[in-house]
Amino acid sequence: MIMTTHTEGPAISLTDVVKTYGRVRALDGLDLEVSRGEVHGFLGPNGAGKSTTIRILLGILRHDSGRIRLLGEDPWKHAVALHRRLAYVPGDVELWPGLTGGEAIDLFARLRGGVDERRRDELIDRFDLDPRKKGRTYSKGNRQKVALISALASDVDLLLLDEPTAGLDPLMEAVFQECIREAKDEGRTVLLSSHILAQVEALADRVSIIRKGRIVESGALSELRHLSRTAITVDIATDVPQLTAMAGVHDLERIGTRLHFSADTAELPAIMRTLGEHEIRSLTATPPTLEQLLLRHYDDADRDADDASSNGSSDTHVLTTTGLTSRSFNEVRS
Amino acid sequence: MTTRILTTPAEPPRRSVRDDPRGDSGRSGPRHADPNGSRQGGSLSGLTTMIRFMLRRDRWRLPLWVLGLAALTAYFANAIGTVMDDEALASMTVFAQNPIMGLISGPGYGFDEITLPRFITGVYGVFLMLGAAMMNITTISRHTRVEEQTGRAELIRANVTGRNTQLIAALVVAVLMNAALSVLMTLAFRYSAAEPEPLASVFLFSLGVGAVGCVFAAVTAVSSQFSAFARAGSGIAGAVLAAAFVIRGLGDMSAVQDGDLKWLTWLSPLGWAQQTAPFVLDRWWPLILHLGLFAVLVPIAVRLQSKRDLAAGILADRLGRERAAASLSTPLGLALRLQRSNLVWWSVGVFTMGVVFGSFTGAMADSAAGMPPEIVDIMGGAAGIVDGYIGYMAMYFAMIITAYAVLAILGLRSEEQGVRTEPVLATAVGRSSWLLSWTCVTALGALWLMLLAGVGDGLGATISTGEWALFGPSVVGHTAQTASVWVFLALALALYGFAPRLMALTWIVFVYSAVMTLFGQMLQLDEEVLDTSVFRHVGQYPAQDLSAEAVLILIGVAAVLVCLGVLGFRRRNLITA
Repeated sequence: MIMTTHTEGPAISLTDVVKTYGRVRALDGLDLEVSRGEVHGFLGPNGAGKSTTIRILLGILRHDSGRIRLLGEDPWKHAVALHRRLAYVPGDVELWPGLTGGEAIDLFARLRGGVDERRRDELIDRFDLDPRKKGRTYSKGNRQKVALISALASDVDLLLLDEPTAGLDPLMEAVFQECIREAKDEGRTVLLSSHILAQVEALADRVSIIRKGRIVESGALSELRHLSRTAITVDIATDVPQLTAMAGVHDLERIGTRLHFSADTAELPAIMRTLGEHEIRSLTATPPTLEQLLLRHYDDADRDADDASSNGSSDTHVLTTTGLTSRSFNEVRS
Repeated sequence: MTTRILTTPAEPPRRSVRDDPRGDSGRSGPRHADPNGSRQGGSLSGLTTMIRFMLRRDRWRLPLWVLGLAALTAYFANAIGTVMDDEALASMTVFAQNPIMGLISGPGYGFDEITLPRFITGVYGVFLMLGAAMMNITTISRHTRVEEQTGRAELIRANVTGRNTQLIAALVVAVLMNAALSVLMTLAFRYSAAEPEPLASVFLFSLGVGAVGCVFAAVTAVSSQFSAFARAGSGIAGAVLAAAFVIRGLGDMSAVQDGDLKWLTWLSPLGWAQQTAPFVLDRWWPLILHLGLFAVLVPIAVRLQSKRDLAAGILADRLGRERAAASLSTPLGLALRLQRSNLVWWSVGVFTMGVVFGSFTGAMADSAAGMPPEIVDIMGGAAGIVDGYIGYMAMYFAMIITAYAVLAILGLRSEEQGVRTEPVLATAVGRSSWLLSWTCVTALGALWLMLLAGVGDGLGATISTGEWALFGPSVVGHTAQTASVWVFLALALALYGFAPRLMALTWIVFVYSAVMTLFGQMLQLDEEVLDTSVFRHVGQYPAQDLSAEAVLILIGVAAVLVCLGVLGFRRRNLITA
């Protein structure tokens, strides 16, 4: 089979893709672009269309309209040739009851075009899998390992991972993250669909958030953060009257000796300079976590439902959810 | 930007450990939720709830089975009752006493003074029993092992339900189904054009069908305990059913010829039901045998279930290969691997059946002299009775092996529904390649089984007659019938490609073809109608000539259907989780 290998252009590109199941629109004009060599986080709640997108990229499902290029090719027409260059790990791995894990690993890798034996053995070791057990005896986590090992042991350009670590324990999650970093260092492209935000934060260069079959946010994590607000708490005896008039300061409130407010990330330098002129005892700034970025869009859904009567922008709501996360806690002292 | 944001790891939130409830330490042991619940912990807790739940789940399936079988009874009774006048019936007398009728239908009680009800129960009764057995096998499997295999049983068992609740509830549901079937069948038969009298005999016949159903419910309850897989459990029960059919057939064949092997019938639950001889002897006592076997099997099933873990088989899993063999590198290798064990079991069964059936050839030849001329004519004349028997067997095996082929193609659908096809197609394996690999294994498997049946039949015939000249024609005649099998295989595949849900239509075409071929002449249908059966074209060699033309046309039809299947499969969405 002769195939021109496109090395130019994005690894994945979907433009205005629509997929319907009867009357349900699973994908509703989805646009997604993943550059070569990047780890792209693909976030969204259950039923948002993540798996449908990935299965369309695999040529397993047919889309109704829109343009799709996977490594420069049409995935429905050139499925087989493309599949030599990619490996797929579903979120729910089913294995043949009578085949052992080792056999399944070899089979998948061979069907893709070959297995790197040394890499395979090393991965089996790292993921702590007994490859001699029959498929029916594996737990969900172990079935997941089988698919992961087989994918990672194949020499491919692209990894399509659909919630690949559902069912893995935290130790194995760490091994998985290591492996993805190695894959990135080797220049592979990774599309990582997930709703484990810590995982995406740790691995992804860029993130796309999908909701109801559309991408609602896409960009580098730092850019996305920029769009959102940072929650700031200052311990200060005196009042800071300038703050009330400053651009980018919202929901200013004093409780005891503490001032609470939220700040547009773009205005942070100016706000910090203003605060610097006062006697600050301590200052805590919490940058928006991925949770908040996501919640912003999930909340929109609720808000659409009960009509946008409460005047505040979605950001206000985001900031009230700050307390939900104890992770990723950044501190500033001036 | 002048601001520096320093990152420090978050501290995990601390929970107070002081609010530990102190109640536990003061008590001597665990407290039960139900203080006077000494009778609550039985292994049958929640039985009525489970029965109601199963009936709710089967609210469509149960009436479809029961009404379907009752409708089939009504169809047989009305069709025969309308078509047959006294003269036609009288001509059936000799035909119905044919040893092959003994083999496929039953002992033929009262056929010397034949009446419509005797003819209907004697010839068609066993097929209603097979239907009832299938109904029970699938019902028990569905409510017990399938539930365990899918993990749903775990959710049920985690509630206040006893260890044996599901099993017993499923058996209760099955017995209720059989009771409903017996009643409806009695009504359908009684008020048909056949006008059977007396009512007690009608009821005895229907009760026999229900009793066979109950026995196979109990057989499945036991067989489902052995393997962790529903398919293996119902497969064993299906094998028991097949064995019961064959053993009874051999016994009845012997009985019709007044041979020495009549007693074989008494080893089969199907035989017991036929030995009630409704409208002739009207014996009720053989039904006690069903009751007894049911009463023995159910406690065995309960014991076995109590001994094993949830979702486990009796037989423990062994460790397997660490690496895949070199053969497991292609879609063809995978298809072969997945169908291998099935094919091995079918090979054993088909070869054994071939030898057993073949070994009756000698008896056929010996009794030809004593048989009425009409029968001898049907079997190919006095000189050709041996050839006639072998040719008939070739067609008979084609039907059996069609069941193998269609089941194997149905396996494609369960692979897809089990989300095991998706990861294969996500590798560099094309859809056509996967489909054709699977088909190739099944098609060659069918050819191999037909060959094996021919060899078995030929060996049996040779041993019983001492004539090696029968061996070659037997092998050729059987192998040629593969063309008919391939048509059904390809039909199932075409349906899989376009509409996997409609694959069961293949069974309808199969049953139609089988009925036309087995009973068409008896129903005095026109040749043109009979020729709509797929099985009637190849020719029952060596009694009839083989039609090379028919073989080629059938293979051509199969090839077209396979192409259609591939086209459909390439176009449609895969079933996804």
